[in-house]
Amino acid sequence: MRRTMLYLPGNNPNMLTKGHLFGSDGIILDLEDAVAMVEKDAARILVSRYLKQGEFGNVEVTVRINGIDTEFWKKDLEAVVPMKRLDGIRAPKVDSAETVKILDEEISRLEDKYGVPQGKLKLFCLLETAKGILNAYEIATASPRIAAIIPGGEDLRADLRTERSMDGTELEWARRFVVFAGRAAGVDPLDTVFSRVTDDEGLRKETEFIKQLGFAGKSIIHPNQVRIIHDVFNPTEAEIAKAQKILAAAKEAAERGQGAVTVDGKMVDMPVVKRAEYVLVRAGLA
Amino acid sequence: MKTAQAGTLESMDCLVTLTEAAPGSGIKINITGASAARFNSAMTKKINETLAELSVKDMEVAVQDNGALDIVLGARVEAAYGRLMK
Repeated sequence: MRRTMLYLPGNNPNMLTKGHLFGSDGIILDLEDAVAMVEKDAARILVSRYLKQGEFGNVEVTVRINGIDTEFWKKDLEAVVPMKRLDGIRAPKVDSAETVKILDEEISRLEDKYGVPQGKLKLFCLLETAKGILNAYEIATASPRIAAIIPGGEDLRADLRTERSMDGTELEWARRFVVFAGRAAGVDPLDTVFSRVTDDEGLRKETEFIKQLGFAGKSIIHPNQVRIIHDVFNPTEAEIAKAQKILAAAKEAAERGQGAVTVDGKMVDMPVVKRAEYVLVRAGLA
Repeated sequence: MKTAQAGTLESMDCLVTLTEAAPGSGIKINITGASAARFNSAMTKKINETLAELSVKDMEVAVQDNGALDIVLGARVEAAYGRLMK
């Protein structure tokens, strides 16, 4: 599950030590925007040592490297790819399949060099430009490493020559498109951050909206956001009970050689069964 | 003599200052701050280990500590050394 992926500033020992304890499904050790230019070297060393030590519990651990248009990205990968406790790389400003190819080749080279199983590291692609959004499906299918595509927030707004609004109108189309591209490609569409960290009601509203669109989860910048997002994504007791009833009826029908059955007066066919299975996955019961 | 720093005085961090020392003068370590009294020997050990990994034999090391774990201390020494060598 990737309901919540928490950004941790890569040069902050306090957050790197405690960040995995707040209950998010994943953490993102950030070497990019959260780190000042003059501290890139120190953050890279610090993050590398934390990954080597590997004490992050059961969360999915990723590192956001610097973009391939910077002098830092290859050094970032060299420092983190060999470390045992790393599940994936979050790459900023991915705008085409070509960007994915460049990243994929470098990660493969380093996996070979350091004896890491080929393909172990997943890629989480941030689509932060209009071009990146338009190429979302091409990006999502450019490598078997791709685990998720994520629309940008502030960078995408800047590229669209717009500004942040209270209801996020400016990102609405990009969000819908990323969900379609991600689902078509079989990778997770994950939403961008909600930056008003004290606005709990706004966060809940936005999470309900992006869940309804089809997103699998959201990137977050504050531990307080975990509970609200999980609350929205977790199925209710009633939803779980209904899903279990549907799956039991479908199983029974299959055993009797029947196709569709009826539960509570409504027809249960394959799409309904799939949705019921997904409810149990989100509830951690499957 | 050339010097370089890495780290901060934030909680759970430390500020490491390395100063080049004359050949044969060895490693000299001075630790001040929150955990200096209680963890001096463990911190000294970590600094010596890290410098040994970097093949450094002569260096003056000053650490202003604000509760840094071993892993952080090692990272800050390595980062300061990288800056000193630039």
